[in-house]
Amino acid sequence: MDSVDILESSEAIETVAEETLSRRERWVLTIERGVLAPARIVWADLRARVGIIILSLFVAMGVIGTRIVDEPRTNQGERLEPAFQSFAHPLGTDSVGRDVLGQIVHATPNMLLMILAGGVFTTVMATAVGTTSGYLGGSTDRAIMSVTDIAMTIPGLPLVVILAAALTPTNPLVIGVILTINAWAGLARAIRSQVLTIRRSSYVEASKAMGMSTMSVVRRDILPNIMPYVLINFVTAARNVIFASVGLYFIGVLPYDNIVNWGVMIDLAYQGGGLQSMEAAHWLFAPLITITLLSFGLIMFAQGTDRMFNPRVRARHSTTTKTSDDDGAPSASPGDNV
Amino acid sequence: MSNQEALDPTASSTDPILEIRNLNVQFEMDRGTSRVIDDVDLDIHRGEIIGIVGESGSGKSMLASSLLDAVVEPGVTTGEIIYRSPDGESIDVLDLSEEALRKFRWEQISMVFQGALSSFNPTMAMREHFEETLEAHGYPVGSGMERAANLLSDLYLDPDRVLDSYPHELSGGMKQRALIALALVLEPEVLVMDEPTAALDLLMQRSIVSLLADIRDKYDLTMVFITHDLPLVTKLADRIGVLYAFEFVELADTESILREPAHPYTRALLNATPNLDAPLEEMRPIEGSAPDPVNVPEGCSYHERCPLATDICRDQPIFEQVTDTQAVACHHWEDIDEIPLTTEVDQ
Amino acid sequence: MSTHETVVSLSGVDVHFDTESGINPFTDSETVRAVDDVDLEIDEKDVIAIVGESGSGKTTLGKTAVGLQKPTSGTVSYRGQDVWKARKRFSNPEIPFSEIRRSLQIIHQDPESSLNPHKSVRSSLEQPLKKWQKGLGPEDREARILAMLQKVGMSPPHDYAERYPHQLSGGETQRVALIRALLMNPDLILADEAVSALDVSLRVEMMDLMLDLQDSFNTSYLFISHDLSNARYVAEHADGYLGVMYLGELVEFGPAKEVLKNPQHPYTKVLRWATPSLEITDETEPPVRKIDIPDPVNPPSGCRFHTRCPYATGHCRESAPESRSADVPEHRTACYRIDEHSDYWDAEPLEGAHVDR
Repeated sequence: MDSVDILESSEAIETVAEETLSRRERWVLTIERGVLAPARIVWADLRARVGIIILSLFVAMGVIGTRIVDEPRTNQGERLEPAFQSFAHPLGTDSVGRDVLGQIVHATPNMLLMILAGGVFTTVMATAVGTTSGYLGGSTDRAIMSVTDIAMTIPGLPLVVILAAALTPTNPLVIGVILTINAWAGLARAIRSQVLTIRRSSYVEASKAMGMSTMSVVRRDILPNIMPYVLINFVTAARNVIFASVGLYFIGVLPYDNIVNWGVMIDLAYQGGGLQSMEAAHWLFAPLITITLLSFGLIMFAQGTDRMFNPRVRARHSTTTKTSDDDGAPSASPGDNV
Repeated sequence: MSNQEALDPTASSTDPILEIRNLNVQFEMDRGTSRVIDDVDLDIHRGEIIGIVGESGSGKSMLASSLLDAVVEPGVTTGEIIYRSPDGESIDVLDLSEEALRKFRWEQISMVFQGALSSFNPTMAMREHFEETLEAHGYPVGSGMERAANLLSDLYLDPDRVLDSYPHELSGGMKQRALIALALVLEPEVLVMDEPTAALDLLMQRSIVSLLADIRDKYDLTMVFITHDLPLVTKLADRIGVLYAFEFVELADTESILREPAHPYTRALLNATPNLDAPLEEMRPIEGSAPDPVNVPEGCSYHERCPLATDICRDQPIFEQVTDTQAVACHHWEDIDEIPLTTEVDQ
Repeated sequence: MSTHETVVSLSGVDVHFDTESGINPFTDSETVRAVDDVDLEIDEKDVIAIVGESGSGKTTLGKTAVGLQKPTSGTVSYRGQDVWKARKRFSNPEIPFSEIRRSLQIIHQDPESSLNPHKSVRSSLEQPLKKWQKGLGPEDREARILAMLQKVGMSPPHDYAERYPHQLSGGETQRVALIRALLMNPDLILADEAVSALDVSLRVEMMDLMLDLQDSFNTSYLFISHDLSNARYVAEHADGYLGVMYLGELVEFGPAKEVLKNPQHPYTKVLRWATPSLEITDETEPPVRKIDIPDPVNPPSGCRFHTRCPYATGHCRESAPESRSADVPEHRTACYRIDEHSDYWDAEPLEGAHVDR
């Protein structure tokens, strides 16, 4: 440590760069670290890849598909034409001649909006409430948790049904929020528990000692540690939106006069004897499979992106680290039982 | 047996209770084979307290685990560990069946693990822990609990109070002592302790070390005390073995280790240990860092950090007896006085 | 004390915690008196080592001294400015709280959690620079971080800057924590058991580094340890002070060399005995009447050490001794035995204890 090259401390602390990078170089570096490295990690995982592909398909279906495939109208084709018969109606038609594929595709945008609204609402509410409560503690914590507990104990389904019946919403964003109206409460409690543990960590105290604002501490130190949890719950909320909407349309609580929706399709197909005869089977199964596929894609995506928040995985994929001796058994450090 | 003496040079005519031969523990990792115990031979004598000193990453915890054939998966333990029971049987620990191993552990050789303060079940009172252990091994609970009460009071604990308490109601020092009592409740012959006092207060550490000596005398035990804290174990051990880079570099009686350590690493370790007596300026850190288990240097594993190193050190030195009481693995042990000891231990 | 200015001063500081009583409204909540009536002054470029066992309150005292723990009563001042008053809004302090906050930093004990596991070393070290050296551009920050890493011996610095905490050894993590504290040019760094989790052979290295950098950065250290040897190393090297805490009270304080050569308080002597040295001594019994430390919720009356002190008398049980000095004025001890004329010498010794001059 005594070589001539080592700067004196006073010089070290006063060091200023000799050259500066151009703006472009700086941007490239930021993108590499912030976007490409995480993206590489996510892509490396098979589950994530599958999930991303499926989700992209759905998004494509919602955005582009609606332009390519015609809107379903009655009497587009023969009634109850079976699937895989023609290119005009690849999935067949329903009992009033509407193209099944067209219905699937055109229901997608609404569905995606609902999922987005519901998922975002639940996650943001839960994270904000849980983190604030857990981090601040004391009477604020008790007050917030009392409200949360009340929200949690109100029975979900009847509440949703009542709200849906009373407000008869048609905007998919509103529907999405209503469908997950009190799901945030349970999640908030869970997040709060995690935050309680994290906030006692030494590095959180160090950040406070550095004078970091509360917002800054929450953003830098607390959130990254709970992100995997948050992500999984986003996906769960999204799936619940799918099933809830399908269910509620199915039992007729949500109004569906002019709406094309997979749940509606299931309802009509069921009423039209989809379960009894093979004639209407394709009409019933198409939306079922679609729902299952979307749900599966969401789960895969969540499981895959979870890895992105693991610093060990992130280090391994970073191209800028020369030595990568961290395959779970790093070169011995104190505290290892070796 | 002269063969035995050649392998463990400090064996006098005392009888060994554990004979370790060619012990190897390795892990297969992506980046190579990690050898955390490298061809170790050791005799542990009946009734002695042997201290094994090594830093993190020296392999000491693995050595402890291997004595009970308890090395975690996917580690592979090879070699021989011959246990000679008091009735003259010889058992190779590494060769035992699952069922025999289960009986062997805790009844013959018992262990106090590192970080053991959290090894109690928080939902069970201490009494239940003892009863559970006794029942699991088919020992009579009545006399077993009596023995437990005796052990606890030998360790300066109030048996009734402690047995009725839950783990969280006891302090760290109390839990550690209770753990020692639990390890001894089935009357084993050998007690292996891996850093048993690491998380404890100074006073408690020192007191427990004193207690252990008493316990050894009273219950006729053999003890293996594994730690990174050399000064602590000198108060207790009869012999001390120094582990570096997964093998023994020195094995000698305590006095020799303190007064005339023969291996450069032992000297460096003594010089680098902060203590109350040595002059400050002479406490020196050890240059360099410990080797990676996947990448141990050729020849003597210490030669890259050793001030006495020469070309010959590229050949692995043999671990051999150099005086009556000392064994060392070093080509230059005769010149060892070139490394002065700062501790200047009083006569 | 030195002729340097006082950086932090604690006066009559109490830190009491109420333990939660749970749902039952009828049980009294218990108070843990972690720190009781402590006075302490830390000057510029001072090194003060505080030793004690668990329950001694040393960590709490340390955190109070750097403004991370609010005292229940008493004042904590930074260069004359009451720290907690400065924190209140609309108080218009002479020294703003942000300035105080920057000047008082901490290095934690556990290398595993002293750095945010999700941030690379560079990212963790940029944090203080971004906040406190706003004049620096990103390249300047980068250069400074690399220079500091080089300075503490982590070479090549580019490699280390990219690493995540789990890729560092314990010693390396602590060095990064040290850099992080120094980058703010603090006046006082609390090293809370900063070397206790490191291997024995690495401790001297880390302590040397801290002392080395102290010279250049003009920082003071408050070094908390349960290990007397470590405390001795750091305090004696810097001609600093040593304080001994027991159950919330500062029972002995003075220049480190003096305290270790002539320990006055019986507890200090016990700690000395308990610190393993490299001498071969005969097995001795612990020089305390009881091994276990009393519960801090219910500390013993009078002098808190009386339940274990080998020299305790009835007088010690009745009232607590004031801290006073004997020969060396800077060396204060809270024990009746310092005073030749104290009533202590006439009182009955407690069971198992003896009085000898």
